Amino acid sequence: MVDALQEAHRILVERGVFVDARPDSRVSARVRAKSARGTVIGTIGTQRPTKTDDLSSDKAVRDVLTRKLFRSRRRGRLWHAIPFEDVGELNDYLTDHLRFSKRVRWLAPASRRGPPLFVERAVRFEVLEKA
Amino acid sequence: MSATASVGQFVPGGLGYLRPPAEIELGAYGIDLRGLRVADIGAGEGRLALGAARDAVSVLAVDPDRGALARGRAEARRQGISNIKFSEGAAQSLRLPDASFDVVIFSWTL
Repeated sequence: MVDALQEAHRILVERGVFVDARPDSRVSARVRAKSARGTVIGTIGTQRPTKTDDLSSDKAVRDVLTRKLFRSRRRGRLWHAIPFEDVGELNDYLTDHLRFSKRVRWLAPASRRGPPLFVERAVRFEVLEKA
Repeated sequence: MSATASVGQFVPGGLGYLRPPAEIELGAYGIDLRGLRVADIGAGEGRLALGAARDAVSVLAVDPDRGALARGRAEARRQGISNIKFSEGAAQSLRLPDASFDVVIFSWTL
């Protein structure tokens, strides 16, 4: 990962901008009922190996900042909503997913689980400047 | 560009996509791409690169997946976007000249 960041640094002009964006495994995805702004009825965590990978990515970014290859200019998070027809379709999606846990942690009884359902996942980004 | 952190800000990511639409994600970054040379590393089918090409002077989309690159080229042709190139490569060993881009994007890459 550090190799990739060093390559990004190499191909950038002086004061060029580097963006790192990826799913934010520090926060669980939210499952909402009825609409993308509906009540949160469940959460979905991240698989442990993926969390470990994400921590390695964080460490790589910290490393290039510590070495002053880049300086941080801005960071933020956006939320991305993915619609599902019903619980069955969501479960099928999770079965094959490489990042999400395989099961929803439901916060509401089955009678209140949509449909439709919306999985709202966090995407974090950081804008860096070549130092 | 502001140095103010905006963690926690809600930016609606759009619906019907497994990843945010390019205009939403690029808008969240807050970078004016007009006149800039952009490299999207780990570009896949060019979801973000094609969006960046609307404003940037040129975009290079790099990915190790030839199939994804082919689909990206086809989509660029379909949309009539001519300032984008798709190139096979890996983030850790880019065959690109030093200091040749104004913006480098790793989206879902690290």
